Amino acid sequence: MPSVSPLNEAEAADAVREAAQTNSPFEIVAGGTKRDYGRPVTAEAVLDVSALSGIVKYEPEELVLTVRAATPISEINAVLAEKKQMLGFEPCDWGPLFGAQAGRATLGGVVATNACGSRRVKAGAVRDHVIGCRFVNGKGEVIKAGGHVIKNVTGFDLPKLMCGAFGTLGVLTEITLRVSPLPERVAVLAITCEPETGFRLLREAAKLPLDVSGLAYVPAERLGTSYIRVEGAQTAVAQKLAELQKRFAGQSGKPLDGAAAQECFRAIGDGASFADGRSDLWRLCVPATSAPEALLAARTEKTGPWCADWAGGLLWLGLPADADTAMRLRSLTARFGGHATLMRAGPEARAELALFEPETKTRAAITQSVKAAFDPKHILNPGRMFEGI
Amino acid sequence: MITLPPPEPKTLARRAEIAGALKRIVPDGVIGDEASLTAFDCDALTAYRQRPLLCVLPETADQVAAILNYAGRENVRVVPRGAGTSLSGGALPLADGILLGLSRMSRILDIDYENRCVVVQPGVTNASVTRAVQGRGFYYAPDPSSQIACTIGGNVAENSGGIHCLKYGLTTQNLMGVELVLMNGERLPLGGKHAGDGGLDLLSVVCGSEGMLGVVTEATLRILPKPPVSRTLLIAFSHVRAAGETVAAIIAAGIIPAALEFMDRRCIEAVEAFCAPNYPRDAEAILIGEIDGMPAEVDYEAQAIGEIARAHGATSVRDCVDEADRARVWSGRKAAFGAMGRLEPDMLCMDGTIPRKKLPDVLERISELSEHYGLVCCNVFHAGDGNLHPLIVFDCMSPGALEKAETFGADILKLCVAMGGVLTGEHGVGVEKKALMGEMFSDIDLAQQERLKCAFDGQGLLNPGKVFPTLHACVELGRMHVKDGRLPFANLPRM
Repeated sequence: MPSVSPLNEAEAADAVREAAQTNSPFEIVAGGTKRDYGRPVTAEAVLDVSALSGIVKYEPEELVLTVRAATPISEINAVLAEKKQMLGFEPCDWGPLFGAQAGRATLGGVVATNACGSRRVKAGAVRDHVIGCRFVNGKGEVIKAGGHVIKNVTGFDLPKLMCGAFGTLGVLTEITLRVSPLPERVAVLAITCEPETGFRLLREAAKLPLDVSGLAYVPAERLGTSYIRVEGAQTAVAQKLAELQKRFAGQSGKPLDGAAAQECFRAIGDGASFADGRSDLWRLCVPATSAPEALLAARTEKTGPWCADWAGGLLWLGLPADADTAMRLRSLTARFGGHATLMRAGPEARAELALFEPETKTRAAITQSVKAAFDPKHILNPGRMFEGI
Repeated sequence: MITLPPPEPKTLARRAEIAGALKRIVPDGVIGDEASLTAFDCDALTAYRQRPLLCVLPETADQVAAILNYAGRENVRVVPRGAGTSLSGGALPLADGILLGLSRMSRILDIDYENRCVVVQPGVTNASVTRAVQGRGFYYAPDPSSQIACTIGGNVAENSGGIHCLKYGLTTQNLMGVELVLMNGERLPLGGKHAGDGGLDLLSVVCGSEGMLGVVTEATLRILPKPPVSRTLLIAFSHVRAAGETVAAIIAAGIIPAALEFMDRRCIEAVEAFCAPNYPRDAEAILIGEIDGMPAEVDYEAQAIGEIARAHGATSVRDCVDEADRARVWSGRKAAFGAMGRLEPDMLCMDGTIPRKKLPDVLERISELSEHYGLVCCNVFHAGDGNLHPLIVFDCMSPGALEKAETFGADILKLCVAMGGVLTGEHGVGVEKKALMGEMFSDIDLAQQERLKCAFDGQGLLNPGKVFPTLHACVELGRMHVKDGRLPFANLPRM
């Protein structure tokens, strides 16, 4: 497959402009760790933007970081850690889910796929941290949107629209983020229990004024574990943990600290228990209260592993990539509200099934119009999300 | 001066017919007589007034859909309005436009503690959301200063902020879903009680779109458990620079206060004369810090902030002793806008955001401009997130004063942009700042934003004349109309 590798934003714009003139669509690639996430792109060429990498400006005292889009997450984490800061949305490394090496993901890919982790219950999704960007639209124009300050309502919030758009609206070249202080201490209360109880405990913890930063459930052979994470200054975490233990005194809870506390949520966010092999994998989002019922209804005798994040609002489900499963999951989202995404499947299934929640006629028309507003000639990752998008 | 799109004579001539059609949709909610319409002439940017063609006050989402469907079919412009508290003229009417007031849609539809959210109609006021859930220990975080009057529909349109944004985010971070009615009358639910949407994150651009993409008829809001402890610190400085450096050092130390407010000497004096909150008299600047959370975390942060402030030259650090003391300290900050009335009858409130570290430079320059224009300017500032509110006071009865104040204000906003900041942190662009959009964005950047509007409202009927410096028809912007998901002549190659 022919590949174009621009060295900077101007070259990226030239490449897209030329492609638009000749109607030659691109698949946009940087780290290349998630190329099998989404529908197969109908393009004969690759736009390799991996050279658009590096920190542009980092101002720790402003909590603001500007980087070129293909900067590896690992590099960003290292730079932030030096100033005791971090990306507040807990970026996930989904590369291993798709057979890629761990640690290769870039910010652009994380933004495009909205790869945010367990901290979403406290800090929001990727889009809640993206405050500005530069991108090349499908006409080859360089667009600046948002700004470099945290509080800004000047013009439409295009940087947030880029998050989770799978590169279908623009080639991100530069991203400005608000960053967060690294908590002094992170601790987890791990409670062994049945799923139904586990989900209830997570929702109860969410209602406590402890500013919890992770609420997950991982099943096991017999009883699984609810993980409740708190963070902050040393003394504050001690108090929060004590409060959780008091509240859930009737349960068999065990506090985790340090690396163990970090590791359990990293594994949940990255989908680590699904990383071996290439079995089909769905992600189902429903209101947290509907999670137990949705889980029961979603699973069949063919069910593989599963786990829950966001107090049950996100279910990772090892379920087959077939029309029956798609219909079953979508009947659940129709009933409870939410969406089901087929995250991993073979190329045939990805070409045939609706990977993302099918849109209503009204919504599909808006999605088509928005696509046309950014990429009228369908040059950028065409077909990645929906047919024609 | 601002310009609005010229009225369509054809629409003006059809006023009676349009009134009749609206009455068929909302029999008891059409306002057409001149005297009653006067009440809707302006929002909180009172310098600009325009009588709307008609005003309609629907009670249901069905009625909103029917009104927009009618207006879309008949090519009539529509301006949505909540409580009319916009400081940027976001709800300024059009002479040939229907003013769509959402104030009667003021019901809280669902309180769901288990999913920590509330579903409301757009006319519910911001403060009443917290009021509805505080009995169970919850609250709604965004708290614009107009919160007793402003409505959630308006908050969504403007992506409203408040003093707690640094820690708890703006409206966009606390908005889980909306039902949007499009200009063709179709309903588009976005988000809900679940996390995100499966497709494009359309909710993220609807929030803050200043009523130009669709009309919100329902919103799902995140509610939070109220922190058990809140403490307020009053910190005084003899130099503005020391106050600025203290703010930067607090953030760099990893502390995110619930609120961190700055006031300069002029503002302190005006507020003291107005409501005597007992601020230190000799201070050049004060910071009001609020921290909340569990007792141990509040103790830790209060101590750390005190130490940082002293190390940066604070002349006094006072920890409020009780609720009454806290209320008094905050009363001064909350009365800042009102206190300006003692200085001059009129005021312009600016809203730029700057990188925090530029604060001393920006204040110095504002003070020079103040002398140049011969107008007093007081500064209050959401220091935590760099959102400046310079208050320019003037007397609009004095000839040329309004124009001078506006030029001064524009200079301040240009300065904010030149310092790496933005035109507006929470008030919106509206009509007030649209002429300045070129300071931040190129024509190409703006055309991209306008094409997004066209994707939602191809006829340009919904709140036209706001945000963008020049009104373009969608065809000029090269948009291709997509109907039923198909591009026109899909099989033809497009050059």
